[in-house]
Amino acid sequence: MLSQYAFIGIFAVIAFALPVIGLVLSWLIRPKKSNPAKTTTYECGMETIGDTWVQFKAQYYLYALIFVVFDVEAIFVFPWAVAYNKLGLYALVEMALFIAILLGGLLYAWRKKALEWH
Amino acid sequence: MDYLRNFFVNLARSWTAWIGGFLPDWGVNLVNYLVVGIILVLMPVIATLTLTWMERKVIGRIQNRIGPNRVGPWGIFQAFADAVKMLIKEDIVPSGADKPVFNLAPILIAGAAALLWAVVPFGRGMIGQNLNIGALYVVAVGSITTIAVIMAGWSSNNKFALLGAFRVVAQLLSYEIPMVLSIATVVLVTGTMRMGDIVERQVAPFIVVLPVAFITYLLAAAAETGRAPFDLLEADSEIVAGYFVEYSGLKFGWFYIAEYGNLFAIAAITTTLFLGGWRGPFVSVAPALGPFYFVIKSVAVIFVLMWIRGTWPRFRIDQMLAFAWKVLVPASLANLLWSAIVLQIGRQPEQLGPTIVQMILLLVGNVAILAVTGLLLGRAARRYAAQHGWAGA
Amino acid sequence: MTAETIATAQATAAASHPYNEVVPGAVLEATKTGLVVSPDRIVELARYLRDEQGYDYCSMVTSIDWPQYFEVVYYLYGAATPKDALVLRVRLTDKANPVMPSLTSVWRGADFQEREVYDLMGVRFEGHPNLRRILLWEGFEGHPLRKDYKEPYFEEESKPFKSRHPDGAHQWAEDRVPWKDNVSYPVGWDPDLWRSPEVQYRRIMGVDEATGNGDGLRTERILVNMGPQHPSTHGVFRMVIAVEGENVVGLEPEMGYLHRCHEKIGERNTYIMNIAFTDRLDYVSSMSNNLGYVLAVEKLMGLQVPERAEYIRVIMAELTRIISHLIAVGFLFNDLGAYFTPALYGMRERELILDLFEAAAGSRMMCNYMRFGGVMADLPAGWVERARNLVWNRLPKVMEDFENLLSGNEIFQSRTHGVGVLTAAEAINYSMSGPMLRASGVPYDVRRAEPYSIYDRFEFDVCSRPEGDVWARFRVRMDEIYQSLRILKQALDGLPEGPIMPPGKKQYQVRVPAGEAYARIEGPKGELGFFVVSDGKPNPYRYHVRAPTFINLTSLEKMTLGHKIADAVVILGAVDIVLGEVDR
Repeated sequence: MLSQYAFIGIFAVIAFALPVIGLVLSWLIRPKKSNPAKTTTYECGMETIGDTWVQFKAQYYLYALIFVVFDVEAIFVFPWAVAYNKLGLYALVEMALFIAILLGGLLYAWRKKALEWH
Repeated sequence: MDYLRNFFVNLARSWTAWIGGFLPDWGVNLVNYLVVGIILVLMPVIATLTLTWMERKVIGRIQNRIGPNRVGPWGIFQAFADAVKMLIKEDIVPSGADKPVFNLAPILIAGAAALLWAVVPFGRGMIGQNLNIGALYVVAVGSITTIAVIMAGWSSNNKFALLGAFRVVAQLLSYEIPMVLSIATVVLVTGTMRMGDIVERQVAPFIVVLPVAFITYLLAAAAETGRAPFDLLEADSEIVAGYFVEYSGLKFGWFYIAEYGNLFAIAAITTTLFLGGWRGPFVSVAPALGPFYFVIKSVAVIFVLMWIRGTWPRFRIDQMLAFAWKVLVPASLANLLWSAIVLQIGRQPEQLGPTIVQMILLLVGNVAILAVTGLLLGRAARRYAAQHGWAGA
Repeated sequence: MTAETIATAQATAAASHPYNEVVPGAVLEATKTGLVVSPDRIVELARYLRDEQGYDYCSMVTSIDWPQYFEVVYYLYGAATPKDALVLRVRLTDKANPVMPSLTSVWRGADFQEREVYDLMGVRFEGHPNLRRILLWEGFEGHPLRKDYKEPYFEEESKPFKSRHPDGAHQWAEDRVPWKDNVSYPVGWDPDLWRSPEVQYRRIMGVDEATGNGDGLRTERILVNMGPQHPSTHGVFRMVIAVEGENVVGLEPEMGYLHRCHEKIGERNTYIMNIAFTDRLDYVSSMSNNLGYVLAVEKLMGLQVPERAEYIRVIMAELTRIISHLIAVGFLFNDLGAYFTPALYGMRERELILDLFEAAAGSRMMCNYMRFGGVMADLPAGWVERARNLVWNRLPKVMEDFENLLSGNEIFQSRTHGVGVLTAAEAINYSMSGPMLRASGVPYDVRRAEPYSIYDRFEFDVCSRPEGDVWARFRVRMDEIYQSLRILKQALDGLPEGPIMPPGKKQYQVRVPAGEAYARIEGPKGELGFFVVSDGKPNPYRYHVRAPTFINLTSLEKMTLGHKIADAVVILGAVDIVLGEVDR
């Protein structure tokens, strides 16, 4: 059990090391001739007008809220799904109620136009 | 001959036996982990080198072109030439960028793309690690991409990148739900989250048992990896290249590798979950055939995705999100519920995988869900068209 | 005859003009080439003409620099109910400071055209909402179309025969580096200090109004330059868009990156040299450009075109239309994100048509095929058979493929329905032309409204759609390809034998009598007009192009506001611009 995660740990180290190694390798052999014109921001060849890091309108925050609800739901669904065969009819009723509540929430959000991209 | 029948597993056994001769147990494990890890980590790179060539050829043929044909026979070394080019290209960091975050993003995204491969079963017993939460692991690791992408988009201090990053968050958040739900349906039907066991318990490929889950998963996965027609995060005709517009050299290369690594990964996971993984004719006689079946099925899925890319225009952000929340989420929730109901019929506590009757019932329910979804969509489209006075929409 | 005497030649008693009874003192003089109108009363008269007389379509605005005065010329037509041209001419005698009221309040379509007049001729329009330079940049001094303007590189009066060989030896004009020669900047202008003028985008930034998304959260807009180096602006066109989230809340088109002052060069070229030069306007449809130009000069010269040449011209023009529409449709899909497949399918058919052009004219894109009075060369043997094969067999099949692949695609439909809507009244008011106008439900086609060449002999339908959105523009283009095929079938069947040029000796120089002519044709992208003023010299006194795509861009902001960034690209794609023509 633990050794499984030991593998994942070692694997993660290798996985993140590979891009670093690649970047170091490329750093060793690539040319380094920077100049101010090269490092300007790309905006179709024009100088950018105004600041980029502004209080930008993030239209997806409503989606993000609904997402949180459903993602938490997913965490409940997975163990339920694995153990479903052993739990019997009770599990079905339980999850049906749970999903019904969620669907109700989704419908509410739908009605409230929270699913429209403004 | 017997050795060849299960060649890959036998090779691994011989190798383990050989190094077990002069290493303690934990040493054998460590060396094995390292070897397997390095092979799996290179999967995205291998995927990039082969799939870019394949994509260019496929789309070339779709567009009546030849595609790459200069570097090597049929241009197969084109991708290698590109790799060398990326390696020796100058790296440009825009002066306004947030440098630590800017540099971290490609590492994160490439690492995340590699991590997915830990739980992909290439054949019977050929899996990095048959994790008991394999399916959840896939979802969890996939989410790292979102973070890397928004890091890249925000730190570039570029307006196209910013717009791309904002699109990414909305898109990846929204499509994660149907993806998770369709995976959950498979988990429910098989009763396990182990990717290896999911394949073992797929008596019939789930594409014919759970077509709704399959379609939902494929669409959601295409959206998660930014494949057409959901390639809004890097929509070249709108926001140039989206979140990685400021990247160059190998940093861009890692994004590219992550993209193709993810493409191969979602194809592999689709194969695992819905196409019966490494299962195929004679695989019980010669398990070494498993990986070939697996790759062939994966490439078929990739081909479908490339085909879509070659023919379809792109969704708009509002349409895409509406599609996720108003079509895919309800449909996959309904599918999950129906599966739960069906599994109660003739239930045996020790059963592994669905019975024939259950599978038929599942298919019936899925077809019904597809039909109802199609009907509702058609009605909504007609109503919308009528509201706006369009003819013949 | 001087220009002055032409203008006053057939002057009638102006006071008795019927328009003067409604708008007293408006019409000063009625000449053969239009009504001379008082600048003080022109807005009133224009409003009357638009509302009461049905001249709802301001097709062309241009200006002429006469020795005594500047003349601004408005060509008016009726679009809702076709009417013949009414020409308003405003003479501004104060040559030091020419000012007249803007007509943008009456016809929005005059917007860009008046800016162009301001930019190139220096006539100021009072009341114009956004009177900035449009084709030239802010650091440009002078107004190049004025006769007293001296070009950098080049200081002689007329180009063709003197300058590059002043002493009999060749000399590169470029050797005389402009910025040490005669280039100058406006007073108070320092090129080193100049930065991208944030001030000029104040309008679209909405700096003064506090913006919020309705929930009380204050959010800020950002300005994004789409273009000039952007994958989907169809050339070096630049849209400065202000976005709030994904929504476009302000848009300012910037153009002129490809500006070479086509008209100034045209005034220095001889008449024949200009034919080749028109190829470079809309470089996708050079045959149409040739046709428009030669029609204008033929009007001045009073030439009779032989029958065969007329048919060849029509065939070439319609083939050009097919090319242009195929490319427009294909690249519209590119803008929608279809990754080049439809565009390349269109390109493949275009190559076959270009083969025909090459066989007839010797060149694929820059055809330079039409001549005053006819065409340059007769069709080679076998040409008609190849064209027949294309028109009867190949292209209908291709169109079927296009319909199957594109028209029914649901993503395409949902992306284009209801996007970039212009109503019929708006389209007319914005002087839209071509497929843009017809897609808004105005069945106005110059081939029908004012038939030129021999278009009155052919049977074809004027395609129009009521929706006015991107889908309608796509559909109109597709339908027009079918109609072009229909015309081509009739023309190829009826192609007579005979000469291709009027009788007479071949000549390198044509003698064009003094006068003024405006010829317009239904180009693939809209109403393409050529305005030529001759004073009897070998080169035109004034040469102006009514570039359809330039004027169609006037409505870009109107169409785009409120849509998403992704739609902005599609709307621009559906306008089908070619920068060679927009920037001239």
